[in-house]
Amino acid sequence: MNQTAQILSIYAADTSGVCSALFELGGMTVIHDASGCNSTYTTHDEPRWYRGSSMMYISALTESDAVMGNDEKFISDLTEVANRLKPEFIAICASPMPAMTGVDMEAIAFDVSHRTGIPAFSVKTNGMHSYIPGAANAFEEIVRHFCEPAERRKGKVNIIGATPLDFSLKGSVESIKQWLRDNGFEVGCCLSMGCTLDDVRAMSSAEVSLVISSTGVKAAEYLKREYGVPYVKGVPIGKSFSRVLADGLRSAAAGQEASPLALRTGESIMAAVLGESIFSASMAAALALDKGISARVIETVGESDLSVLSPFDLSAPDEDVCERELAKHSLIIADPLFRPIAGKGRFVPLPHEAFSGRCFERDIPDLINRELTFLKETGL
Amino acid sequence: MIKLAIYGKGGIGKSTLSSNLSSAFAKKGLTVLQIGCDPKADSTSLLLGGKRLTTVLELVRAGKPFTLEDMVTMGSMGVLCVEAGGPVPGLGCAGRGIITALEALEEKGAYEVYKPDVVIYDVLGDVVCGGFTMPMRKGYADKVYIVTSGENMSIYAAANIAMAVENFKTRDYAQLGGIILNRRNVRDEDAKADTLAADFSTEVIARIDRSELFERCEAEHKPMVELFPESKEAGQLLAAAERILN
Repeated sequence: MNQTAQILSIYAADTSGVCSALFELGGMTVIHDASGCNSTYTTHDEPRWYRGSSMMYISALTESDAVMGNDEKFISDLTEVANRLKPEFIAICASPMPAMTGVDMEAIAFDVSHRTGIPAFSVKTNGMHSYIPGAANAFEEIVRHFCEPAERRKGKVNIIGATPLDFSLKGSVESIKQWLRDNGFEVGCCLSMGCTLDDVRAMSSAEVSLVISSTGVKAAEYLKREYGVPYVKGVPIGKSFSRVLADGLRSAAAGQEASPLALRTGESIMAAVLGESIFSASMAAALALDKGISARVIETVGESDLSVLSPFDLSAPDEDVCERELAKHSLIIADPLFRPIAGKGRFVPLPHEAFSGRCFERDIPDLINRELTFLKETGL
Repeated sequence: MIKLAIYGKGGIGKSTLSSNLSSAFAKKGLTVLQIGCDPKADSTSLLLGGKRLTTVLELVRAGKPFTLEDMVTMGSMGVLCVEAGGPVPGLGCAGRGIITALEALEEKGAYEVYKPDVVIYDVLGDVVCGGFTMPMRKGYADKVYIVTSGENMSIYAAANIAMAVENFKTRDYAQLGGIILNRRNVRDEDAKADTLAADFSTEVIARIDRSELFERCEAEHKPMVELFPESKEAGQLLAAAERILN
């Protein structure tokens, strides 16, 4: 059955992506939704919820307010809470109900900003897309609203696209920062794990941005367009691809085109790497360079950055298509929830929090700039 | 780029006026994009020889890829015509449909590709829900023009629309550009329109006579400035276009 998942889970929704993208930045994020409980967006999808505080709220939209167009209730609630909490900014986004009734979230944000004097913006969501467009739109909005012109700093690199949905709290993001330092770079803003709004304000001073997830592409594009900061896509997985990626950053900083993910050849493919495209393509590149394993990417979100895929890769968010394709491979690297449709090939679990939540969080390895030891159990 | 939305009571002549204004702008050498925002999809009929367009929502509903050219048809005097359309009659949500259609046009780059000098949104009679305010939202029309006659029901409807525009001031929406009087030859017609305009601190920017020439234009599916270019009515329409431009 097309567009139907009988066995597989689904990816975290766009609203969860917004919450995750903005979690650490000191703003107040409000989802215009019927629920009064924010667990869907934070406790289920967001491991930081248990380790630190963040101003994440639900508007508790009622049927009557939706039908009657009672936007004033939402606006006055936002105003009252913002005046009390004094957040750095107010971000609002829509669940399916306001999206369907056509609530003008941008106008509400404009009104609230006018009433409170606090920067406010809406992040485009409708609750029916994956975390990727949600987080991508949130990153773009935050950069658009806060980044300021600044003098370029030699060797400074932004990291864009960091959320626990793609990089769990298992040390990967810290390892990416250390890898940058080891390669002589200065770590700029890491949007948004371990950064502040001041870091965002200074993003235009970077020489180059490293986009580590599809969620970071729009913000990186904005920085390139508005401030001339080039960007390179990739995650420094394994030893060899990390070197290639570091060279790519140096080339981009020097004003040359750099597409490290385009170097894969696709000859004698045996393995399939499933998931978000930039991470999966990086993993495939690392497998080829470190292990001599030729792998293709099967992009399973459906909304990843497809421009990093090679002609031999595939976007297959549909369960049936994905299952058919997996039968062609003798080695499959994917979130454990894909195992039931993985066929007879060797299956290497690589949990992805945006897909399986915190179920397998403890098994998520840090693969940054190190030997791919997680493959040992398979004998590779 | 000038972007305006035409509102007013149902049946007051918004589509006829929109098409005639589009032609008047086109006659001045401007590139005009007219977007019908009514599920009936008959806004641009006068500009297309009575032919019916495939609406944006029909293209969306078909579920197949479509292009900007599939949505936009060139009509009389080079006016670019679009009909938003609506859901299956009696089902779905017409207001949300307008939002979807306008977003589809924007996503396909209609404003960047055609670079129109003037965009006219011809909107369904009453602002019955959020979808029908879409053309006056930020990023769409800059000015709202309300068409009315001197008939009381039309004046009431116009006042309601003007009040909605007033209420949306805090939202950075389009501002009221003025009243267009479409005469029906009722008693004290001009005075009533003037009072309405004064109540909302605006002006009657055009007064269009009732004329059997409009019926003849409709029968021949041609706009006034094309079929009767020398008529007094064509002059009134050209003057209205000039006033809006200035």
